[in-house]
Amino acid sequence: MSGEAVLRYVAISLIFLGVLVAPDLSVAAPKADIANIRGQAKGREARVSFTLRKAFSPEMVEALKSGIEISFKTVVRVERVHRNWFDATVGEVTFSHSVRYDSLSRVYLLNRGKGEELIPDIFAALSGMTQYEVVVPLDFEIERGKRYRAWVRTRLDKVGLSEPLRSIFFFSSLWDVETDWEKGDISAP
Amino acid sequence: MSEPARRTPGFSSEQDLAKKKRERIAIGIVSALVIGLTVLEANLAALGGTVAFTNNIVIFALINLNVILIVLLIFLVTRNIFKLILDRKRNILGAKIRSRLVLIFISFSLLPTILLFIAAANITTTSIKSWIGGRVGVALTGALDIARGNLEKEAGNLSGVADRAASAVLRKGKKVPVVNVLETARRGNPPRVSLLVVGPGGVVARSGDVPREITSQIRSRLQGQEGGRDRKDGMTFVGEAYAAAVRLLPDGRAVVAVKTLPPEEMNRIREIARAYDEYHQVRLLDDPIRASYIATLILITLLVVFAASWMGIYLARQITVPVQMLAEGTEKVASGDLDVRLDYRSNDEFGNLVGSFNRMTADLKEMKKSLEDANISLSATYEELRRRSRFIETILTNISTGVIVIDRAGRIAMINKVAERLLAIKTDKVLGKPYKEVVREEHYEAVRTLSREVGEMPGRQVERQVDLSVGGKEISLRVSVTALQADDGEYMGLVVAFDDLSQAMRLQRVMAWREVARRIAHEIRNPLTPIQLSTERLQKKFAPSLGDDPAFSECTQTILSEVGSLKALVEEFTRFARMPAPAFQEGNLADELKPVVETFRTAHPGIAWEFEGKEGTPPVWFDPFQIRRALTNLLENAAAVLGNGGRVMVRVGHEPTLGTVRVSVSDDGPGIPPGDRDRLFEPYFSRKEGGTGLGLAIVSAIANDHQGTVMVRDNIPRGAIFEIEFPVRPKGRG
Repeated sequence: MSGEAVLRYVAISLIFLGVLVAPDLSVAAPKADIANIRGQAKGREARVSFTLRKAFSPEMVEALKSGIEISFKTVVRVERVHRNWFDATVGEVTFSHSVRYDSLSRVYLLNRGKGEELIPDIFAALSGMTQYEVVVPLDFEIERGKRYRAWVRTRLDKVGLSEPLRSIFFFSSLWDVETDWEKGDISAP
Repeated sequence: MSEPARRTPGFSSEQDLAKKKRERIAIGIVSALVIGLTVLEANLAALGGTVAFTNNIVIFALINLNVILIVLLIFLVTRNIFKLILDRKRNILGAKIRSRLVLIFISFSLLPTILLFIAAANITTTSIKSWIGGRVGVALTGALDIARGNLEKEAGNLSGVADRAASAVLRKGKKVPVVNVLETARRGNPPRVSLLVVGPGGVVARSGDVPREITSQIRSRLQGQEGGRDRKDGMTFVGEAYAAAVRLLPDGRAVVAVKTLPPEEMNRIREIARAYDEYHQVRLLDDPIRASYIATLILITLLVVFAASWMGIYLARQITVPVQMLAEGTEKVASGDLDVRLDYRSNDEFGNLVGSFNRMTADLKEMKKSLEDANISLSATYEELRRRSRFIETILTNISTGVIVIDRAGRIAMINKVAERLLAIKTDKVLGKPYKEVVREEHYEAVRTLSREVGEMPGRQVERQVDLSVGGKEISLRVSVTALQADDGEYMGLVVAFDDLSQAMRLQRVMAWREVARRIAHEIRNPLTPIQLSTERLQKKFAPSLGDDPAFSECTQTILSEVGSLKALVEEFTRFARMPAPAFQEGNLADELKPVVETFRTAHPGIAWEFEGKEGTPPVWFDPFQIRRALTNLLENAAAVLGNGGRVMVRVGHEPTLGTVRVSVSDDGPGIPPGDRDRLFEPYFSRKEGGTGLGLAIVSAIANDHQGTVMVRDNIPRGAIFEIEFPVRPKGRG
């Protein structure tokens, strides 16, 4: 049996202990949040921008530098605000941003859905992971004079461990990053 | 694993066995599921990084199921251990040896497992530490630096190519197509070197074959450099698959010289980079990884311990369950339940033992049934024998013949009532004793003679008349001695039967005396009348002539007087000889006899006459005249012996056991001497002066004519008692 297979069995056994004896491997981090939600709607789309804060703990930065891929999944929902009735969702988009470090070329590979961006600076890479500007397709044409609001939520989607570690930490979340639903007004004509 | 069957109770054990079987099956299924699911999860987990999240959900569900099953397994084993402890506290049979075996198994497994756990934990920790903290890191960093250095060196080498190509593009770019310029500039370079001109919108021209991914990466890196503080006119980029040198042109375009790496070199560099990343990740996560390994080892240790416990319980039960079943079964057999069957099947020695036990109980049951059948048969036989014995006893009790049975050892085995009475012996004193000790000395010779004759006679039977003196009374017995022989001729003893001939002989004597009396009366009566008439004629003829001659007168008077006496005697003889047959009628004896007593009370006032007629006395058949005569004779005798004083008591009573009515006359006179009693009822035997000796003979004759008996015995303290017994139901009168 190869070492990898042994590691895999060990990982499964460890999972059994996840409920019984294993310690919580997730590291407590400051609660992440979303700020500066702004938006502008026009026609059948809304452009929403926001900033993800306190998403990267020092451990996560260290992990990033060690080649661990970190991915955030974000949901942006646009609602039409009614004064005397329930708000109605008029558009929603879900997307992921990921970043990893290439130790050979010493650049950060940032993926924001438009192919990989090679960024030599970690700050630029982190900025790319926390500054968002999203276009949300809407189901209806924007109505003039009506109120619209954007709701945003982000959570840690995936931690790209190397394969042996992935077996070990298959169901263990190394970090707990998840924001609440945050809202911001969207300006409309 | 299941709980052993307890005494409960009934071998209640069918339910217990079913429960055990269910538990065993459950544990087996759980174990199989745990193993199967673990393998499945391991395989699925290997795909977990590359397959969709839905598959991860499946894995998650399986793992949770596995955890539940493991918890169930632990629960079952733990439950059994607790039950074992509880059984031990309750002192249930087999619990001690079971708990001892389980303890031994756990101890033998726990010690090496813990040692193994400690060693494995140390080895794991040491290995991880040595791996992440030692030379591996230095080696990997060095390898990566070397790979990067080589690539950067390659890129540096390409700088000249890029410079020359950039110069050529600037020089001839407007006269000659850029592609041609690049082709010209590329000549003389290795084949893996290509030249690109990249504008803001993409690749403007190229010379050589550059993979699209590499082109894309170079463009991305160029964009990343735009506006940057470190932006220079000449730059180098390296990647896993390439090395590139860039020269920026004043017009914003960039000339890039790219060298793609051969696949093997590219893979090598990629592996180095991956190993470097993994190393750093492991180093970063060494504590959680170590914790995982330790937890895994703990889990394995626990599983080993539980498995050992389970095995211990299982093996202990293999031993104790049949022993317990046997103990309970034996207890039931001891209490009489032979329907016990132990349901335990195994090919081992315990199975054989239980099989033998079941066969034994079956044999016992069969034997018991045979014994019961034999007992029933014996009981029936015994009952039949008892019935026959009682029948024989009844016969022997009721017959008028005395019977004595002597066994082969010469002991008296049986004496009936008649024999007891005739021989005046007590059964309880002689039964079981040798007859030689019981027989009186004066009778021994007669008995010995009879015994000898029986042995000599062909038919083994002798009949003799024997005269004996019993209690001062002479009796005549007809003795019949018969030797008892079994079918095979074996001597079994003697049966001595004897009849009392005294009464019969007495009757014969009475009859003879009657005949004598009749003849005498006949012979005497005939001459008496002529004598009387002749004497009277003599008196008439010669009395006047003789005058007062006293001799003549006295002689004739004496003749007449004696003739009168003889006539009276003849009359008495005649009455005795010609006693008429009784004229029977049914009536109450007491009513008939009471007036007789009253007559005597009047005639003899000096004597106290008492009469007692008991109530409930049944009526009997009798001749009133003869009965009154018999009582008159008895009372006359009593009055004669008492004179003018004394007391006479007449009782009439019922003897239910004998079926007789008894009339007894008792007095307090001088009594009857023992020597006179045998002849007392014979005719012409009298101690009374002037008595004819016929009074008691007539009483005896009347009693005989009434199928009754008369006897005499002493009255205590003085006097005599005469008793006449009449059968309540005489023969011929129902």
